[in-house]
Amino acid sequence: MKVGGSYTLPLLRQRAHELLQDPAILARCMPGCEDLKKIGPDEYEMQMKVVVSAVQGLFAGKVRITDQKPPESFRLIVEGSGKVGFMKGDGLLTLVPATVTTGVSILGSEGTEVRYEGDVQVGGTLAGVGQRLLDSTAKMIIRKFFEKLAEAGAETEQAAIVP
Amino acid sequence: MATTITKTETLVGKRIRRKEDPRLITGTATYVDDIQMPGMHHACILRSPHGAARIRSINIKPAINQAGVVAVFIGKDIEAVGPVPCGASLPGLRVPAHSILAKDRVYYVGHPVAVAVATDRYIARDAIDLIEVDYEPLQAVSDPEKALEPGAPAVHPEWPDNTAFTFHQEGGEPEKAFKEAEVVVKQRITSQRLVPTSIETRGVVADYRSAEKNLTLYSSTQIPHLLRTLVAQMLGLAENRMRVITPEVGGGFGSKLNVYAEEALMGFVAMKIGKPVKWIESRRENFLCTIHGRGHVDYYEIAARRDGTVLGLRLKLIQDLGAYHQLLTPAIPTLSVLMMPGLYKFRNVIADIVGVFTNCVPTDAYRGAGRPEATHGIERMMDLLALELKMDPAELRLKNFPGKGEFPYLTATGLSYDSGDYAAPLKKALDMVDYHKLRNAQRDAKAKGRLMGIGISTYGEICAFGPSPATPAGGWESATVKIEPSGKVTVLTGTSPHGQGEETTFAQIAADELGVSMDDIIVLHGDTSIVQYGIGTFGSRSTAVGGPALYYALQDLKAKIKKFGEMLLESDDVTCSGGQCICNKTGKTIEFAQIAAASYRAMKLPPNTEPGLMATHFWEPPNFAFPFGAHIVVSEVDRDTGQVEIQRYVAVDDCVNIINPLLVDGQIHGGVAQGLGQALCEQAVYDENAQLITGELMDYALPKASTMPYIETGHTITPSPVNPLGVKGVGEAGTIGCSPAVVNSVVDALSHLGVRHIDMPLTSEKLWKLVRQGGQA
Repeated sequence: MKVGGSYTLPLLRQRAHELLQDPAILARCMPGCEDLKKIGPDEYEMQMKVVVSAVQGLFAGKVRITDQKPPESFRLIVEGSGKVGFMKGDGLLTLVPATVTTGVSILGSEGTEVRYEGDVQVGGTLAGVGQRLLDSTAKMIIRKFFEKLAEAGAETEQAAIVP
Repeated sequence: MATTITKTETLVGKRIRRKEDPRLITGTATYVDDIQMPGMHHACILRSPHGAARIRSINIKPAINQAGVVAVFIGKDIEAVGPVPCGASLPGLRVPAHSILAKDRVYYVGHPVAVAVATDRYIARDAIDLIEVDYEPLQAVSDPEKALEPGAPAVHPEWPDNTAFTFHQEGGEPEKAFKEAEVVVKQRITSQRLVPTSIETRGVVADYRSAEKNLTLYSSTQIPHLLRTLVAQMLGLAENRMRVITPEVGGGFGSKLNVYAEEALMGFVAMKIGKPVKWIESRRENFLCTIHGRGHVDYYEIAARRDGTVLGLRLKLIQDLGAYHQLLTPAIPTLSVLMMPGLYKFRNVIADIVGVFTNCVPTDAYRGAGRPEATHGIERMMDLLALELKMDPAELRLKNFPGKGEFPYLTATGLSYDSGDYAAPLKKALDMVDYHKLRNAQRDAKAKGRLMGIGISTYGEICAFGPSPATPAGGWESATVKIEPSGKVTVLTGTSPHGQGEETTFAQIAADELGVSMDDIIVLHGDTSIVQYGIGTFGSRSTAVGGPALYYALQDLKAKIKKFGEMLLESDDVTCSGGQCICNKTGKTIEFAQIAAASYRAMKLPPNTEPGLMATHFWEPPNFAFPFGAHIVVSEVDRDTGQVEIQRYVAVDDCVNIINPLLVDGQIHGGVAQGLGQALCEQAVYDENAQLITGELMDYALPKASTMPYIETGHTITPSPVNPLGVKGVGEAGTIGCSPAVVNSVVDALSHLGVRHIDMPLTSEKLWKLVRQGGQA
């Protein structure tokens, strides 16, 4: 399944890039993420609870980052498997300076548009019974992730500014 | 105590309610899952989530350490068990080794990898989640045409072209016919993969008694005897130490005409743990690992003259086999080729089948097995030819049937159609819909912008399998009739009815022959320790092959009754009928029950006669039987929603003599329901990674009560010489005749938009787009 879209974060590009690779932030922002550990350069181990349709389960997997071009782009590779099947995702994230048009930013209107484009594969029960809701579930998970990231970003900015 | 048996009215031909129904509709019938045994364990199977993967390692420890788990078995534990059998043979057929559990590689999603056995079903289910399998995913392929492309992932690495077999059939002079043709019509036509979806999924209970060295297997199957022979072989058991019992079976439709890995696996488990074990297939497993049906991509060409005379037929048939051969997998498309001319006089035919391996569950027989695909193809092609020639589709069909006097009719594919009058059911169906008036009504409707269509299909069906030389496992059938000392009659049939109603129809036949009440007759089946060997129920054969076996056994029994009657009445001028023997000189009578008692008491025996009243007959048919018929569908497509409304459904079938019209109607109704399913909504879809994405009833659209139109049935009767009862099969007729009639009607409804063909299923989305885009897909 192809996924693609974009989300504008009220963060400067450099900062957005940093946050997107900060295990603590990622663990906080990824919906269902129960654990995320750095196990090597650009490599993380993750546990994540996934709910699609009537199927839910814990996935254990790895997240890898390749093709680093800070702060412009990187490739994110996610692989996980659990009792209800497996999933694989491979996506390119491109960070482009942009103007924030909605919401409040302490930075004013400066922001970063994160464009993502990739391919998600699922297998097992998750594919057999969850397929029809997969598309909307994936979109929802991605949207929630960026919303939380924006929130987390705002908090860290606040913390940095207010002593 | 002897029962008084009295003469009854003739029962054959009457609408008699099924003897089976009270226990079914009151929920008191016994299915495999109803079987309980002391000490019974439960098994659950871990299945591959990958379409193709190498198994790097399996760790069963976390599962086996759970309280209540008694055993976990994986591929290396079952080395001694033989492969899942393929009963079909074709020249050069590539047969992959099909072990009952995957060894170092999995080939489709659902492939069994491990089995956990526990004291409780829930513990077994939880245990499989704890088994750790390290897979190395590989490239998989699910589309049969893509699997044939160079560089496609190899399903079985030893055969990189993914070709299991090719099969060529030719008759007449097809090349010449196409060269001389005035018109050639071509079309690619698919018959999508379907999930048979019986209401009762599969299930097995295995009980091994080590003291007696006896294995009893309860299985929801259509073929108890063949299953015993083949599973005993797989397990290395002496066949006479194994018993297969088929309790109530909640639908099979061909999906239980098979020998599955789980049947041998449960036998293996029971023998290993020394306890009875039960496995009940879940609905999701049923979707993933019980055979699918159809799976054709067909390229058709027909050659004809401008006056509508058909000359030649060319077919390239791509059969999606799945990853393995189940019992009859490669044989199914050969049935399509045999029947590809339909009822028409194609004297020149050429067909090539390519059987293709894909990373999907195997395909095999599903109601109609090869014939619905063939009928759909030829009936669509006849409509395309009619469209090309601007001829009426009914007229074109009537022009090309063999005449009444041409039977037995030898087809260009080498079959001998036993008997027929193919115009009769079509003419009757045309009368029933008042065809000319209907065409006028259609013109008016279309003029008003309504999308109304009329679809015609005729079908010919090869059924009543055998004869033996033409079938993989013997084409005969058996029956035993016993009159017990009390006068009660027990019929044992080698067929294995599971919804077809032979407990009723066979009782009707026996009641008429013996002149006893149906209530005094019981028909037993599906227990290899009670019933003499038999072949089973499939291919519309039970009544057409099992019926004559019963008929002949009854004749033998009647001869014996007469001998006893003559002895007991002390006369050689005796007539036996209506449940008694009468001495034509003295008028003295003696009832069958008294004769039965005397035959077992055996104080005195007729010359050269053994005690008891029992007869067994194994009957071998001389030919297949070829029922036929015509279906007409009137439909309308809703312009705004793309929804098809079936306004009329007329089915006229010629299955010759009807033993019970109620049951024949029932078979037609059920068959049409499954035909409508294929035509309108059902489709098993694998994605490009060979994941089945229609894996449950939320995603796989079965026809519902609201899908069903009122079905107007009619019958014609053309005597058949094939068997003494003059019967042909009717179990698959409804399905075979249905899908082309529906699709022809919808194409007819949209033909003014330039629509020539639509592949099934005719979902509202597909039709809505066609209507919106002016006929362009």
